[in-house]
Amino acid sequence: MKNKKFLVGLALVGGVAVGFSADVPTPDQVKQLKEMGILPSDVIVDEGNDYFHNLKGPNGKTCASCHGQDGAKLVGAYAKMPRYYKDIGKVADIDIRIKACMTKYMGFPNDKKFKKKFTKKYRVPLAGYVATLSNGMKINVTLDDPQEKELYEFGKKLWYQRVGGRDLSCAICHEIYAGYRIRLQKLGAPVRDKLYAHWPAYRFSKDKLWTMEDRIRGCYKSYFLYLGKKWHKKKDWVKKPPYYMKEIVALELFMKKAANGATIEVPGLLR
Amino acid sequence: MKKIAFASLILGVGAIVACQAPASKAEQKAAKPAKKMSKEEKFRAALAKQDKYQKACSNEKQLVPEGIPLEQFKKDMLATIKYPKGGVVGDWKKGEKLFGDPKKGGKGKGNCYACHCGDPSIIACGNIGPSLRGYGKRGIDPKTTYQRIYNPWSIQPCSAMFRFGVHGILSPEQIAHVTAFLHDSNSPINK
Repeated sequence: MKNKKFLVGLALVGGVAVGFSADVPTPDQVKQLKEMGILPSDVIVDEGNDYFHNLKGPNGKTCASCHGQDGAKLVGAYAKMPRYYKDIGKVADIDIRIKACMTKYMGFPNDKKFKKKFTKKYRVPLAGYVATLSNGMKINVTLDDPQEKELYEFGKKLWYQRVGGRDLSCAICHEIYAGYRIRLQKLGAPVRDKLYAHWPAYRFSKDKLWTMEDRIRGCYKSYFLYLGKKWHKKKDWVKKPPYYMKEIVALELFMKKAANGATIEVPGLLR
Repeated sequence: MKKIAFASLILGVGAIVACQAPASKAEQKAAKPAKKMSKEEKFRAALAKQDKYQKACSNEKQLVPEGIPLEQFKKDMLATIKYPKGGVVGDWKKGEKLFGDPKKGGKGKGNCYACHCGDPSIIACGNIGPSLRGYGKRGIDPKTTYQRIYNPWSIQPCSAMFRFGVHGILSPEQIAHVTAFLHDSNSPINK
């Protein structure tokens, strides 16, 4: 019976998500869904909560050992990300920051095997959980460090860079033609409408919680990037950029800076 | 209540399915890199492959080239166009499948319905590009249509439409088929 309820609930949510096109549901709608107990993203965030308090690294520490019970010391941290971190010597987004914490302070090995496990298993739940700690706060990305400034400019360049087999840029779809439709999918304007406030977001079409890293990789997939002379040779295709690349962080920084002042409400709820 | 929920599920799933781009299927099959390049290097190399004309369009206006005079831009783009042996008008039925096969819900190699409406029976069509309903009745020269698909930037520099022929997304013969689909009086576009 419980299952059935859940399914009916999901169906309702599906209807809502489609009925309101790609627009983010209003806070009232999200509240209603929350009251009905049918936000699948909550399950993932709970998983993150569990990892945060109970996942011990090889040296016996959990996230909570440093950041406090219920992430007390991380409240508001997500509002300032991505930013420069002295301990890792570079600008990091939430995904990279968590990975660095786990390898640097919890004793997980900084190798390919752990990177894969982190990416597939721990990254999204933990990022989702840490992001929710800043709910209700305003995004406040400052470009105080020269590395941040440089990366922001790089992100801006990438945003407008037309490239690949489809001559696309981020801006073509998400700025110039924002509000128009690709098939039935309305294009959002993350910069103009400060959509970053709703990320990480749960996407019904993928049945997954996505951080902005996942989203940007998905976008690049549709660029039809290729090496060689023509796109049609499959061996020359370049798919998504790998996780944690500088390019991804640069775009995140550009978009999140644009969302300054917007109130964080995560996990968002999307088509 | 349950009925309503069920209906919305069907509606939701239907729309979600319709929104998937056909590109993803092809992308999953990508082969191994030619040389021993890391994924990072491959991605950066592909970004660096930006040509002179893409670069000219990479400004904040996006749809207006900078640094290359408009007429020069169009002339250069026109020079990239190769024509098929059989002429610019091919087989409209083959063109229909490339444009977006009605049997596959409007999906096809060209993925034209992503941005354009055409066959009135395909409802899931985008509105980034103009509607192409009745295109064949507008008195446009098929050669111009062919050029517009092969290299849209030869007519409208920095347009959002992909340069299908330049990048080899469609071959000259395939573009001729799509041209036929747009112009043929029997094509559902013109019914």
